[in-house]
Amino acid sequence: MAQPRVLVVGGGLAGLAASMRLAELGVNVDLMSLVPVKRSHSVCAQGGINSVNALTRQQGDNEWKHLDDTVYGGDFLQHQPPVKEMADWGPRIIDLMDRLGVPFNRTPEGFRDQRRFGGTLYKRTAFAGATTGQQLLYALDEQVRRFEAEGKIRKYEFWDFLTPVLDDSGRCRGAVCQDMVSMQFRSFAADAVVLATGGCGLVYGRSTMSMVCTGSAVSRVYQAGAAYGNGEFIQVHPTAIPGADKLRLMSESARGEGGRVWVPRTPQDPRDPRTIPEADRYYFLEERYPKYMNLVPRDIATREIFDICTTDGLSVEKDRLCVYLDLTHIPKETLDRKLGGILDIYEKFQGVDPRTAPMKIFPAVHYSMGGLWVDYEKSPTGGMLEGSPRNQQTSVPGLYAIGECDYQYHGANRLGANSLLSCIFSGLFCAAGVQASAGAKRAPAAESLFASALRREEERHEALIQRRGGGENPYGIHHELGDLMTRVATVVRRNDQLAAAYDETCALEERWRRCSLSDTGNWTNQNVVFTKSLGDMFPLAKLILKGALLRDECRGAHYKPDFEMPGIAATDPEGKRREAEQWCDRFEANTNKWLKSTIANHGADGHPKITYEDIDTSLIPPRPRLYGLVGGEVIEEVWKERLRAREAKGGQAAAREVGVGAAQS
Amino acid sequence: MTLPSFVSRNQFLIYRLFSLSGLVPVGAFLVVHLLTNASVLGGAASFQSRVDLIHSLGPLLIPAEFALIFLPMLFHAAVGFAIIAGGLPNVGSYPYMGNVRYTLQRATGMIAFAFILWHVIQLHWLGAPLGGGRFDPHHATSTAATVIAPLGVSLLYAIGVLSAVFHLSNGLWTIGITWGLWTSPAAMQRANVISIAVGVVLAAAGLGAIGGLRSTDVAAARQVETRMDDFKRMMEGKAPGADAGGHGAPGFPATVPAADAIDLRAPSEPSALVIPTPTTSSIPAGN
Amino acid sequence: MIMKTDDHDHGGQTSARTIPVRVLRQDAPGQESYWERHDVPWEPNMNVISVLQKVAAIARSQDGRPVAPVAWDCNCLEEVCGSCTMLINGRTRMACSALVDRLLEEHPDGIELRPMSKFPVVRDLVVDRRRLFHSLERVKAWVPVDDSFDHGPGPRISPEDQEEAYPLSECMSCGCCLEACPQFTRIETPKREGETEEQFAARRAAAFDQGFIGAHAVSQAVLFNKHPTGKMIADERMAALTGQGGIQMCGNAQNCVAVCPKHIPLTRSIARAGRAATLWALKKLFDR
Repeated sequence: MAQPRVLVVGGGLAGLAASMRLAELGVNVDLMSLVPVKRSHSVCAQGGINSVNALTRQQGDNEWKHLDDTVYGGDFLQHQPPVKEMADWGPRIIDLMDRLGVPFNRTPEGFRDQRRFGGTLYKRTAFAGATTGQQLLYALDEQVRRFEAEGKIRKYEFWDFLTPVLDDSGRCRGAVCQDMVSMQFRSFAADAVVLATGGCGLVYGRSTMSMVCTGSAVSRVYQAGAAYGNGEFIQVHPTAIPGADKLRLMSESARGEGGRVWVPRTPQDPRDPRTIPEADRYYFLEERYPKYMNLVPRDIATREIFDICTTDGLSVEKDRLCVYLDLTHIPKETLDRKLGGILDIYEKFQGVDPRTAPMKIFPAVHYSMGGLWVDYEKSPTGGMLEGSPRNQQTSVPGLYAIGECDYQYHGANRLGANSLLSCIFSGLFCAAGVQASAGAKRAPAAESLFASALRREEERHEALIQRRGGGENPYGIHHELGDLMTRVATVVRRNDQLAAAYDETCALEERWRRCSLSDTGNWTNQNVVFTKSLGDMFPLAKLILKGALLRDECRGAHYKPDFEMPGIAATDPEGKRREAEQWCDRFEANTNKWLKSTIANHGADGHPKITYEDIDTSLIPPRPRLYGLVGGEVIEEVWKERLRAREAKGGQAAAREVGVGAAQS
Repeated sequence: MTLPSFVSRNQFLIYRLFSLSGLVPVGAFLVVHLLTNASVLGGAASFQSRVDLIHSLGPLLIPAEFALIFLPMLFHAAVGFAIIAGGLPNVGSYPYMGNVRYTLQRATGMIAFAFILWHVIQLHWLGAPLGGGRFDPHHATSTAATVIAPLGVSLLYAIGVLSAVFHLSNGLWTIGITWGLWTSPAAMQRANVISIAVGVVLAAAGLGAIGGLRSTDVAAARQVETRMDDFKRMMEGKAPGADAGGHGAPGFPATVPAADAIDLRAPSEPSALVIPTPTTSSIPAGN
Repeated sequence: MIMKTDDHDHGGQTSARTIPVRVLRQDAPGQESYWERHDVPWEPNMNVISVLQKVAAIARSQDGRPVAPVAWDCNCLEEVCGSCTMLINGRTRMACSALVDRLLEEHPDGIELRPMSKFPVVRDLVVDRRRLFHSLERVKAWVPVDDSFDHGPGPRISPEDQEEAYPLSECMSCGCCLEACPQFTRIETPKREGETEEQFAARRAAAFDQGFIGAHAVSQAVLFNKHPTGKMIADERMAALTGQGGIQMCGNAQNCVAVCPKHIPLTRSIARAGRAATLWALKKLFDR
């Protein structure tokens, strides 16, 4: 029998990992990307990649703790079996990338060096200078090139994925795509389609994401019937360099290597920051979170930085919100060796050397925790069953999603250095299941299926090109959409604003329908490609806003001050205790109501239909996230008592937990 | 196998031979040639004795000249022109020192080649049919000085010599990179200093020779040469004064003593300075 | 004159300064190129990307004619993806890290944008850099692992070796080194009538195989020949490096290292590859 053919869309870490593994398994791969795969957005990841390692293991770390940190950091909003599997695979993935030649930083003895990242107490993060994502991507790009040279992978670079082709049973049988150079349409028959197209940061206009991160491919399969999960969970990175065209990331590793965040205690202190004495500096993260200091999880760091500028009015500059991220106390040689790449970026784009002057930074949209809903099959040990065709499969059979464009691994908030792991893991892990799915015997898809899908896309394209006199400018509309989304759907969210923004988004979508193109040619027409992708941002924007509007709680990156659970106000032990009990009651009630994934389905009317999905928390029971909360220790005490009481009563769930835990060690 | 396919299959070898030939024998010859010529600063007798030493090779001189000078030089030039034709100098857009040197290397290569062609025709017996071949090895200083005497000729010689010297000393630096002798930027910098020093010494020698010839009293030089020639003939048992001398000297082979007649003990001023290398030829004057 | 007052559009009101931008455009391969002038409103902290974004948004040339937006490549905008290489004021560099104020300091008359000259123009500032990636294939720039299954960690590597490898591994395939190299010349193979994609690709690859591999590929070969596993196919890389269009094509102009946006020590790589080629050739000559 002929080997199955799989179309992989997207050539970042996930897409390349999947392509490599599929080719190795003997599957023919068509690899499609908007840009040459070596230029994918994964290159922007700076800090590192997490996994348990020999060193942390001897300090008491294990895969279970990595799982725990990930789900705790993600506020329990993710199914735990896939996360467990990912944590288990972590060490093997780092070993693999090491073998592929990634120049990880080394200890004097020649082992991989590790650093500590946010949301954990262990030095779990392997890194290659300050360009870990780039290095990992290149290693996979090289392997894919090797398979390409052997004819096992065919690359289609500068191609735009337009729509999946579904048969009458609803199975994905291929896709219609467009060559962005010749503007020719072509259908690709495939036994399975794997989407690895990353996040949708461009819905927010400017973000830390690359220009290809429009979310268009994801939106197109969503509009074709795939379900979308947890759209409202958008990570805002605490530290980015504000810029006119994009917000450039300043890696968490800057804080991991000892960078300190501060503002002058006097608002807009006019002094040179280097001359401001310690007493006049407010190291607000260190003061508020003495345990994690500057390495609190991202959502908290973001909110604190946002807050210190907006609520406390302590922004370093008046017109432009920002705080100091200070590395000047670290020796220059250390900085060059460990952070050279990112410091060069700051210097290059700001014209200031961060080795001698504190950087000015502010939060920016960074990562979509949400994405296409994907399935998994649980293994007997509580992880994922390798080889199951269900793993990473979207609600459309035969259509898979991996990497940032799935919703699976990061819950309500992603830990730093976990995304590179989740991308490579989901890419490698899904391959066996994709192969099984693609290899299953089924009748060939009718030619007419592809022909009609192709014709529909051609007609849509022609209609867009031919449209005259609408007068709307797509770039202007994108700007407005970005401003709107950044204003209402990032760090702080309020229901009145979200509701109004939803209507405004619909109005913008109407205006988009009146866009007329300034380029009506049929050769490398970037104007029409952009305009199409802009149109596909609206369904995503709407599901983000709708999901955020409906979710009346605070969880991870989703923060609504109206639904915040305040800390303990009482000072006397009895009062503290009483409030802690109330706090825990409320927490349990909230968990029952909201510990669910938001699932959006595209309605025929263009509006998202929201439902909720229960979450598999069978491995680690949800517990309050108390980073820095006033009275957190009392709440923790009460919570633990309740947990023990429940264990004594039921015993079963706890026994299972211990059993699985034991299987780990 | 066609020539293009032979060339493309052996491109690396050809380019490396090209690189090597620039150093040995062509570059080495240039060094010896310039230092020999600079001996004119020590007087006509000093120069003549060095020329005599070279010509003591007798019948071996012609094959040596062709095998070790003309053919390698032609090979170096042919490959060099092919390389120049394949490149796109862009010093206007990228005026970095390395790029300036890249461009100068090509320019000086072409100038040096044209100059050498002219120089050979003018002085070497091969140029006689074209009205050249004016160098007489028995009257080295005087014939060379006569040829170079017009100011224009001297200036062209200076340009030609400096081009060749730049081409060699800059080539020394790039050969070291090409063959991987110096690899780090610091080592390249050190090698650069050395190659500049070599260039300065050779330029001084070359210009010194031109200056020395220009300040030569041709008649006095001729007397010295004739005396030395007579002495040699006497040692060989021939009558003195057979040489009519002067311009349009007889063809070189006619003046070469028979190999069996060479008395190796005869040269009057054996000098440690002169390496009795067979590479030096009958075209020493003026260069 | 650095800026001019753009008052003819705004009825004499004192308005923003504008930057004159000249773009060399070309509608498609094989067509004539032409200059187009745009006036772009100046803003603080602009880079060439934001200039081009404004050109696209304005969609009119300086004389008010409606024009199609200039086509150009970009992605990360933080100088790690290697997309946005172009000739800015005559010199090859990344558009994202080319800051407008600094360009105007160098060149007060305005900004001139041209496509790279060593690659075939696709449209406007977009060029086809497939040859660059093909060179990586020629030198087998990868570690030849058995498979991607678990075989434990990779080889131990000293910090010194890591520190040497890392800069080479930062090469983002932008093509600046090739654009500035006087020895690297353009290879253009237009598709022929009636030729299939496969035939065309094979003919193009054959044409690429004749040309200079370029500094970036030499450097990658050095990187992988140093890696403990990568060096297991060092001979194959040496064969490529000493094959047609190999390292011998280098003319030592050293522009590559001068224009490399990542400051990769390319000339050191070239010299090391030269040394390795010398030894390899001798070995081939005497040791087999």
